[in-house]
Amino acid sequence: MRQWFKDLDGLLRGDSTRLGTLKDGRIGIAAGGMCVVAVILGLVYGVCMGFFALFREGGPVWEQFLATTLKVPLLFLLTLVVTFPSLYVFNALAGSRLTIVSVLRLLLAALAVNLTVLSSLGPISAFFAASTTSYSFMVLLNVAIFGVAGGFGLLFLLRTLHRLVVSGNEPLPEAKPLPTDSAGTPPLIVPNDSAIDPLRGRLMGRHETLVFRCWVVVFALVGSQMAWVLRPFLGNPATEFSWFRGRGSSFFESVGQHIVNFFK
Amino acid sequence: MRALALQVDNLLRGAGTEEAPSGRVLRDWGIILVAAGLGYGAVMGSFGGLFGERFVQVLYSAIKVPFLLGVTFVVSLPSFFVLNTILGMREDFRQALGALLASQAAMTVVLLSLAPFTAFWYASAADYDHALLFNGVMFAIASFTAQWVLRRRYGPLIARRPRHRQLLRLWLGLYVFVGIQMAWVLRPFVGHPDLPVQFFRKEAWGNAYEFIAQMIWRNLAN
Repeated sequence: MRQWFKDLDGLLRGDSTRLGTLKDGRIGIAAGGMCVVAVILGLVYGVCMGFFALFREGGPVWEQFLATTLKVPLLFLLTLVVTFPSLYVFNALAGSRLTIVSVLRLLLAALAVNLTVLSSLGPISAFFAASTTSYSFMVLLNVAIFGVAGGFGLLFLLRTLHRLVVSGNEPLPEAKPLPTDSAGTPPLIVPNDSAIDPLRGRLMGRHETLVFRCWVVVFALVGSQMAWVLRPFLGNPATEFSWFRGRGSSFFESVGQHIVNFFK
Repeated sequence: MRALALQVDNLLRGAGTEEAPSGRVLRDWGIILVAAGLGYGAVMGSFGGLFGERFVQVLYSAIKVPFLLGVTFVVSLPSFFVLNTILGMREDFRQALGALLASQAAMTVVLLSLAPFTAFWYASAADYDHALLFNGVMFAIASFTAQWVLRRRYGPLIARRPRHRQLLRLWLGLYVFVGIQMAWVLRPFVGHPDLPVQFFRKEAWGNAYEFIAQMIWRNLAN
């Protein structure tokens, strides 16, 4: 268990995705462990989000709290299941040599990064959920939080994919020492080399870049629609509790409606 | 006690801005934050009087100031930590945390130093709205001064890695976003002299941003 969280720490710091450590085109993490970590992080955010149901006027709604807690990890796992095959296929079409296991690990790693950012914003979400009665505000706040977290996750995915493809295609160049000034002291400004900084000077093929960018857009769309299918996450205080709601309308339409409601 | 007073002096003079503070120093800053916050809060809550039932308001207000700053800080911290890690700034986190805590502690010290003005104002004017406004001005002055302490301590970090500048802006954004709502929920700070003493206002349990948005809408629509 500890090791899994250490793996996560390595991913976040960018240690596990440096070119030197990606030698054979795979990330050195346990897929199963990362999956468990992702579920735990999802549950953490679910609990924070569920505060809205607990601090409702007229007493807590425990079923909604439970539903919210379970739905957050479910949302991410289902999105993973829906998008994994296409990522693998397009990745193979684009000519990279990543195996199916590497692609799965990559997706899980990106998901874990996404969920870490999400759960770290959990306290803020929980505080607002506990002190706010406005349903529209909470919906918009959560859309923003999921958006930020998703942005980081997908950026991580793109950059790591780039690194994986580059490390699989060419022989590894000699590690360049940091440039030093005439006195031989290390530079004052430390260059950025985090997990989501782009590799400088090493480009992927134009096709690969395009394919992956399109795929990221698809991932984001599937994710938001999945959230729509699994709703209600927060539970509208004006309606009765239900595990799911009927089909109809769409994610983006609803967000627009909530923006209008918020001002009125 | 003497050591703590010395620590306040170091804090204001900006000693040790180049290196990451030790655990002891961080703890001392935390103590300064709570102690000075309690001090200003007590003065702030003394508008309705000091004796009898009104003393309870003094106690409430005293607790609320360090609570407001401390809890806002704690709630915003996890996301700041994770973002620092993802953006590759983890090694500097201790120093960054020190800078943030120092600015918070400095803010309460400045507030406490302004407390005599507040007390003097209360003694000379009896209007509740003016008292609120006066406290607002005091908090604004303290925030600006705290910003100055923050920039001084963040300076070396930004010089080494320019990305810290964006992270600092991000922190301020998060902190203000949470802080506004926290202050809204924790009302009343001053305590209206004609209303009964209470820790929370029942009707205050709402959302500051919703209130503002609806106010804008009403003004635009009419």
